[in-house]
Amino acid sequence: MSIGSTTNITQAALRDVPGPLLELTDVRTHFRTPRGLVRAVDGVSFTLERGRSLGIVGESGSGKTILSRSIMGLLPTKGTERSGSIRFAGTEVGNKSRKEMRHIWGKEMAMIFQDPMTSLNPLMRIGDQIAEPLRLHLGMSKADAAATARRLLQDVRIPEPDRRLAQYPHEMSGGMRQRVMIAIAMACGPTALFADEPTTALDVTVQAQILDLLGEQRRERNMSLVLVTHDLGVVAGHTDEIAVMYGGKLVEKAPTKRLFAAMKMPYTEGLLASIPKLEDRSHSRLNVIPGRPPDLVNPPKGCRFAPRCPYASARCNEEEPPLTATQDDPDHSYACWYPVGSPEYHEARARINASAGVN
Amino acid sequence: MTETTEFTDAVTHTPGATIDDQIDARFKRVRRRRVPKFGVLFGATFLIVLLFLTVFADWLPFIRNADTKVRVNGKLMSNYKLGPGWDAWWGTDGNGFDVFARCIYYARYTLWIGISSTAIGLFVGGALGMLAGYFRGKTDRVISVLIDCLLAIPALVLAIMVVRRLDDIKLDFTFLGWMSRLWQIILTLSILAIAPLARIVRAQTMALREREFVLAGRSLGAGNMRILFKEILPNLIPAMVTVAATGLGILIAAEGALAFLGLGLETSWGFMINANRNRLEKAWWATIFPCIMLFLTVLSFNLIGDRLARRFDVREAAV
Amino acid sequence: MRYFFQRFLQLLLVFVIVTFVVLVVMRVGSSNAQELAIKLAGRPLKPEESDALIQQYNLDANFISQYLTWLKNLVFHFDLGFSPQAGQSVADLLKPRVWTTVLLGLYANVFGLLIAIPLAVTQAYRRDRPFDKVGSMATFIAVGVPGIVLGVFLKLIFVVQLGWFPSIGDKIYPWDDLHEHFMNFFLPTLTLTIPVAAIYTRLLRADMVMTLQSDFITLASAKGVPPRRVVWKHGLRNSLFSLVTAVGTQLGALIGSAVLVESLFDLDGLGSQLVVSVLSADLFTVQSFVAIIVLIVVVVNLLVDLSYALIDPRIRQARALG
Ligand SMILES: Nc1ncnc2c1ncn2[C@@H]1O[C@H](COP(=O)(O)OP(=O)(O)OP(=O)(O)O)[C@@H](O)[C@H]1O
Ligand code: SF4
Ligand SMILES: [Mg+2]
Repeated sequence: MSIGSTTNITQAALRDVPGPLLELTDVRTHFRTPRGLVRAVDGVSFTLERGRSLGIVGESGSGKTILSRSIMGLLPTKGTERSGSIRFAGTEVGNKSRKEMRHIWGKEMAMIFQDPMTSLNPLMRIGDQIAEPLRLHLGMSKADAAATARRLLQDVRIPEPDRRLAQYPHEMSGGMRQRVMIAIAMACGPTALFADEPTTALDVTVQAQILDLLGEQRRERNMSLVLVTHDLGVVAGHTDEIAVMYGGKLVEKAPTKRLFAAMKMPYTEGLLASIPKLEDRSHSRLNVIPGRPPDLVNPPKGCRFAPRCPYASARCNEEEPPLTATQDDPDHSYACWYPVGSPEYHEARARINASAGVN
Repeated sequence: MTETTEFTDAVTHTPGATIDDQIDARFKRVRRRRVPKFGVLFGATFLIVLLFLTVFADWLPFIRNADTKVRVNGKLMSNYKLGPGWDAWWGTDGNGFDVFARCIYYARYTLWIGISSTAIGLFVGGALGMLAGYFRGKTDRVISVLIDCLLAIPALVLAIMVVRRLDDIKLDFTFLGWMSRLWQIILTLSILAIAPLARIVRAQTMALREREFVLAGRSLGAGNMRILFKEILPNLIPAMVTVAATGLGILIAAEGALAFLGLGLETSWGFMINANRNRLEKAWWATIFPCIMLFLTVLSFNLIGDRLARRFDVREAAV
Repeated sequence: MRYFFQRFLQLLLVFVIVTFVVLVVMRVGSSNAQELAIKLAGRPLKPEESDALIQQYNLDANFISQYLTWLKNLVFHFDLGFSPQAGQSVADLLKPRVWTTVLLGLYANVFGLLIAIPLAVTQAYRRDRPFDKVGSMATFIAVGVPGIVLGVFLKLIFVVQLGWFPSIGDKIYPWDDLHEHFMNFFLPTLTLTIPVAAIYTRLLRADMVMTLQSDFITLASAKGVPPRRVVWKHGLRNSLFSLVTAVGTQLGALIGSAVLVESLFDLDGLGSQLVVSVLSADLFTVQSFVAIIVLIVVVVNLLVDLSYALIDPRIRQARALG
């Protein structure tokens, strides 16, 4: 065991370690089930620099949640097979037990859940829930913790923090509760924040506020942010990079601007098409990608997207495309034989358009 | 393919649950099928064998008549002379009766009392519960108070009171003259069964009432009685059967308790236990075997009830 | 407050109905007041004796006035009636025995909870592992064992085989002699506690398993709260509902078991006295005993109701508003 054996890595020390904050190599998370091995995350690699934000996007069931929980180590022990390397600030955390991870949770890595209505303890005052990690990790006194909790509430723009501290979750609206969740996550000043669909359960107007708040806190605290969502529109304005997942694999990764300007994966294209446009919010989700997500027990042999891909050809069904960088931008990689813009792509498009014209 | 859909759906519906539990939710169906049914199997076998033995006891050569005293070489085996052994499998009691034979014969009364009082309780309690749950409002309030009242008196206290009073009352009212001790007990135990059954049926009816097929029936103008009997009753059966199985166990235990206290039949396991319990030291068999019979019978019904509760998802019955 | 008041009235109604019905059941069937008086006395009476009884308890009126008389005597004079068969007032009959039953009930609940809470929490925390499976099986069996069976077995083992405890019980209270009290009350308490603990455990485990699936539990872990604290501090309090309810609903069964246990272990208490009174048709005594038991059940259920508000601020506030 090298540095990994020291469980109480201090934050200052962490901040000083050179290199990327998060480094994943070939991470796999499989679940043994009566039906067979579910390959929820199947060979994901990427790096995330300090203070940067990454959006993980994909359809439901593509493995986003399991990936982010794998990084945090918040997985069940029973029937789970994990492999690959997860380095956090230079330390391997992929093989740590829950017991060891406990000192990192809340302190170095924090998480925000999707549903603020069910994610706070209904029988505990807000103030106590925020103070809990402060007292546990930072050993603060009751009074200090209360004062810090108050400041945190101000930071997340909750009016009348003193009154709110003494309230119970049911006395607050969903948006307020999500702010409280952010305050809790932020309490010990983590270096990485994982937000799993933090706005899905909220009103549209509140969604933007919460995302802005997250971005602002990230910049102020120099945190890295991993934002998980099924909505490309959500990550567009709020992350530096975007990783697209399909069937447990990373299929495209690029800086945000670049992705929207020059996406390569037909799947990403499909996701983009399914973003509801402002003018037709009423019947949103008009262009959902047809077909079902792949069976994770017996995934398709070649490209996992092939059964649903409009541009698929014989090769796609036989050989799996590797994740490769584009020629003009090393930060942009994709896994596709006939990416958007290739000659075959245009050919296939023409074919599709023609047949559409005939009918 | 359909299975895949199920799994993905399950994840979307329970976002963020602890992952251990998500697995469970997702694979409940699969997992259930794999649990060995050892428990029910045991319970069902025991009850079937017991039923067979007690019904055909008269014709089975290895079961002595319950009222025949055991003699070995012409000598009366009274005063617990025989322990468990070849001549009397479970030994003899103070009067020289065969404990095994009595245990088997008395199962008749136990089972008969349990089944008939459950049936009556189910009929009355079920009707009350359905009325309360379906009509709500005043009907419900009246029936609920009735249920509360029945539940406010501890079951056994109610039982000993009613059985004892029936002794006198049937002398006062000649039209009750037909009532034997057996029927007194059946009647009493049915009263005990009414309140819990009514409560569960009421809750289930309330839930069913709001289901589409019932609402649809009502909007089509079907009469209340028609809806109650054609739509709601059939859907109540699983819950009723489940609760009845567990209830049977409880009522049989109550029958044993009544007999033990001297308020039941003398042809009962409970009575045997009471009659011999001060001789535990000298002759454990005369007390312990009836205890084991009572225990296994109650356990068997509980095992079956538990199985049914899981099968039909009846939470109330699964304590 | 309003909620509490409503609930109180409801339970009062239950009390009145039950005691009235019990009175009717106890007295129905006699064709005239003299006959009823003789029945109540349990022995032949001289005319002036029976007249006095009729006078005192209003026996020649209808059941409702009889009931009102009984209730009036109870409320204004604390008069529980007279037990002609015991030759003393019901209150005197009751007083020396009441502690036996109260202590048994108290012990069963206290020890039941002391066993159930840690057991259920551990089971839920280690769900589906061997500990939980064995625990579930054990509690399943324990819930179903008939009280007499359990009592007889304990007696066989601890009294007959091991000889640790006396075979005939004696009601010795802790303030008389602690050691003797233990010797006499241990087995009856154990007989009562085992099923109670089992029921509590099963209910709490089920609720706890549900709670541990909640998002807020995962969040607590993700905050770095140690598992022990997650389970005890965040999990337990959110899982108490069924358990608290059961303390109320199981009370009846517990009193029933107490009747059996007192008889089985020859402990002189309300339960064993009740059996004696019922058997000898001591109508006054039975009437008063049942009234007291119902009163206890009703009061405990009221307390249970109040404790919901203590546990859950949502209920507290909803009630404060309502
Ligand atoms: N404990 C488990 N056991 C077996 N399969 C699991 C388990 N947890 C998740 N899965 C499977 O892993 C796949 C990925 O799940 P995950 O929750 O990561 O999807 P997601 O991308 O977050 O989707 P969503 O948008 O619905 O949250 C799903 O198909 C799911 O069925
Ligand atoms: S590899 Fe083939 S099937 Fe897969 S996305 Fe590219 S074109 Fe479509
Ligand atoms: Mg997810």
